[in-house]
Amino acid sequence: MSYKYFWEDFYPGQVREIGGYSLSEEEIIEFAGKYDPQPFHTDGEKAKQSFFGGLIASGWQTASLCMRMLCDLYLLEAASLGSPGVDELRWVKPVRPGDTLRLKTTVLETRASASRPDMGMVRHRSEVYNQHGELVMHMSGVGMFRRRSPGE
Amino acid sequence: MAVKYYWEDFTPGRVFETATRTLSEEDIVRFAREYDPQTYHTDAEAARHSPFGGLIASGWQTAAVGMRLMCDNYLLETSCVGSPGLEELRWLKPVRPGDTLRLRSTVIESTPSGKQPNRGTVLFRWEILNQNGEVTLSMLGRQLFLRRAPAQLAPDAS
Repeated sequence: MSYKYFWEDFYPGQVREIGGYSLSEEEIIEFAGKYDPQPFHTDGEKAKQSFFGGLIASGWQTASLCMRMLCDLYLLEAASLGSPGVDELRWVKPVRPGDTLRLKTTVLETRASASRPDMGMVRHRSEVYNQHGELVMHMSGVGMFRRRSPGE
Repeated sequence: MAVKYYWEDFTPGRVFETATRTLSEEDIVRFAREYDPQTYHTDAEAARHSPFGGLIASGWQTAAVGMRLMCDNYLLETSCVGSPGLEELRWLKPVRPGDTLRLRSTVIESTPSGKQPNRGTVLFRWEILNQNGEVTLSMLGRQLFLRRAPAQLAPDAS
């Protein structure tokens, strides 16, 4: 596979957006049944009596869907070398059945690797919005990418 | 389910150790096809030629498995009312098919809510370890819990 994006193709201020990702009640319950079986994620009736007033998606499902959007947006076409982690992940608003999510990701910083001349890091801020334009989740993540031309 | 742990029970230094869960190749591929379809998560053959030298789990699946271990071990018996987020999350070592994971949850700090007398926040260090005792993922995150006994509001000074 030939890659479209290398480390050099990311620059601070670059913005990418993708949308149209919906979560159904069934998908929310299925994910929660496997990974986060708190009643406000798995049981519509109990969720109604909960603090959230109805079924909401596990925050890990929202984060995982954010990852899917990053994949579809550019990662699958990028010379990606994985990620060391994320900082300041915030679940700002609950995601409910039928919500349609959209991702806006902005490059904050790019840095050549000090130890590996064939690699560079990209720090991004990724924001997930619902169909009302409300911010539901954001995080600051780092991706490592192969360089098109290795540094000195 | 009866609530066993309230905010007051999460005192700094307290440690919870969970049971284990083993991730199969099928588990890894199924999660990745849906949420993280990078080839080193979905295709064992392609993964062999990747920088990871073989199939590895999506880091988001590792985090989600940690959540499940926490739920089964103690979270479902707490007064938890959600989480505002994480300060940091680090993927330290790849998780591979057949790895057996467990979670260690350590209370770092406990803070009463400034605005709501019936709840408080707890800051945890969550570490997911593999069968060799290596930390594969480490997070610093917060959860909100209801209090057993609401705080006394300061008497009105006026």
